[in-house]
Amino acid sequence: MALSKRQRAHAIRAGQYGLLVVVVAALVLTADWEQVRKAFFNTEIAAAMFPNVITVALKNTILYTALGFAFGLALGLVLALMRLSSVAPYRWIAIVYIEVFRGVPALLVFIAIYYGVPIAFQIQFDPLSTVMLALGGVGAAYMAETIRAGIQAVPKGQIEAARSLGMSSARATVTIVIPQAFRIILPPLTNELILLTKDSSLIYILGLFREQYELTKFGRETLSRSPSLTPILIAGLCYLIITLPLGHLSRYLEKRTGGKKISTPESTGLGVSA
Amino acid sequence: MSDVVVEITGLKKSFGELEVLKGIDVRVDRGDVVCVIGPSGSGKSTLLRCVNLLEEPSGGKIVVHGVELTDPDVDIDRARTKIGMVFQSFNLFSHLNVLANLTVAQRKVLKRSEQEAQEIALRNLERVGLSDKVNAMPAQLSGGQQQRVAIARALSMDPDVMLFDEPTSALDPELVGDVLGVMRQLADEGMTMLVVTHEMQFAREVADRVLFMDGGYVVEEGPAEQVIGAPRHERTQSFLARVLDPTHQGPRGA
Ligand SMILES: Nc1ncnc2c1ncn2[C@@H]1O[C@H](COP(=O)(O)OP(=O)(O)OP(=O)(O)O)[C@@H](O)[C@H]1O
Ligand SMILES: [Mg+2]
Repeated sequence: MALSKRQRAHAIRAGQYGLLVVVVAALVLTADWEQVRKAFFNTEIAAAMFPNVITVALKNTILYTALGFAFGLALGLVLALMRLSSVAPYRWIAIVYIEVFRGVPALLVFIAIYYGVPIAFQIQFDPLSTVMLALGGVGAAYMAETIRAGIQAVPKGQIEAARSLGMSSARATVTIVIPQAFRIILPPLTNELILLTKDSSLIYILGLFREQYELTKFGRETLSRSPSLTPILIAGLCYLIITLPLGHLSRYLEKRTGGKKISTPESTGLGVSA
Repeated sequence: MSDVVVEITGLKKSFGELEVLKGIDVRVDRGDVVCVIGPSGSGKSTLLRCVNLLEEPSGGKIVVHGVELTDPDVDIDRARTKIGMVFQSFNLFSHLNVLANLTVAQRKVLKRSEQEAQEIALRNLERVGLSDKVNAMPAQLSGGQQQRVAIARALSMDPDVMLFDEPTSALDPELVGDVLGVMRQLADEGMTMLVVTHEMQFAREVADRVLFMDGGYVVEEGPAEQVIGAPRHERTQSFLARVLDPTHQGPRGA
């Protein structure tokens, strides 16, 4: 039987869809839905979680994430500039920092800052400072690389124009390069924010008061008092309340900056004459 | 009485092994328009970029308005405020609107007040005929408009000399005239200009002097009428023959 290339592609596509349908059907038919309902959809337990799951847990997740992100962004920017510096030791420090903090689990950083620092320096951070330093410290390593890529993506002509107008290298970086770099990296930065949102749950390792619980800790705590996995489901849904809009925003920004790139002076100008 | 604005002596520039400028002497007097022509790769852009130290010369001396730029202790940022540069690819700051493009360096470098910077910006926008584009973003402008904004941006710093690196090469043919018109008007107003261009008609009409560069040297130099109208050197002749009549097959191919 001789199929054309197009027909063969169609046949393969149909085969893939068919397989997907079979797998989904098998899962739906074999799952014990009654058990699942009992375990995850206990409306009484769910109702008892409100309003605290929102007013305490969701609020704290957002607070911890925002603190970590703000600190991480600032430190990430510094690291990115150090990484691009002409001063070699700055570059080395940045590289070592980025490699280490990207390489170790965030949980270890939480433990080091909360339990390790007091032993070494007699400074005890409270949970809020710890989450800011630990989450931000890890986030900074990732964001530094993103920011560096953004800075390098700013066309060289922009810097030359700035320098030719008498701006110093530092002035050009602050006034021209960084604002443009951030436009370019807004979509990936939004993704980092989503990752940090989930990592904020690592605060569970610290001793927390009830009013300091965030979503995961709150969910586990409720879980330990009730014979149902419903709290976990509710906590999970609350994470989605934060992360779905962020994902949407990221895709929107990506589309917008993607469309914008086409119309930068460099490309319109040279494209026309080519 | 003519005083010297730009004086370049024995300028050399190498990129690694490649020696692009092999000893260039150029002098531009106040109010003069000097056009630089020459084949692609002959080092015209490199010459211009050395004049405001966007490229660091490997040897020789550059003095602009009495300031020796090749002195290692020179305050280059300060010196650059007096040297306007217009690039082939415009290089407007893409995140700033037209007005901010014209005011940002006035504010941050010259420390002018917001009001003064805006007044100067508006005056220069009017000079290039774009008063109605004050609030436009660069991406909303045509190439010709962007280049005129870039000229206005450079003029807003009150430069002693303007450098142009093929300002019309990236433009649609019908937009070239607007930009050349602005440059012609600047020349008429007495601006000192060093212009790299392939627009022979413009060079012929506007330039006080024309330099023909090839192989890292200034091969021929003189009044526009002579260098473009009656070139003496064989290399200038064959270059002009190729440029003025693109179908002409010169000795080294088109
Ligand atoms: N940054 C650089 N690094 C290495 N080589 C360079 C660099 N800039 C220019 N060159 C080389 O120097 C030579 C002269 O380049 P330049 O841009 O000055 O020529 P040009 O006369 O302006 O040519 P065109 O008319 O095409 O603009 C070319 O061979 C080019 O490849
Ligand atoms: Mg060039």
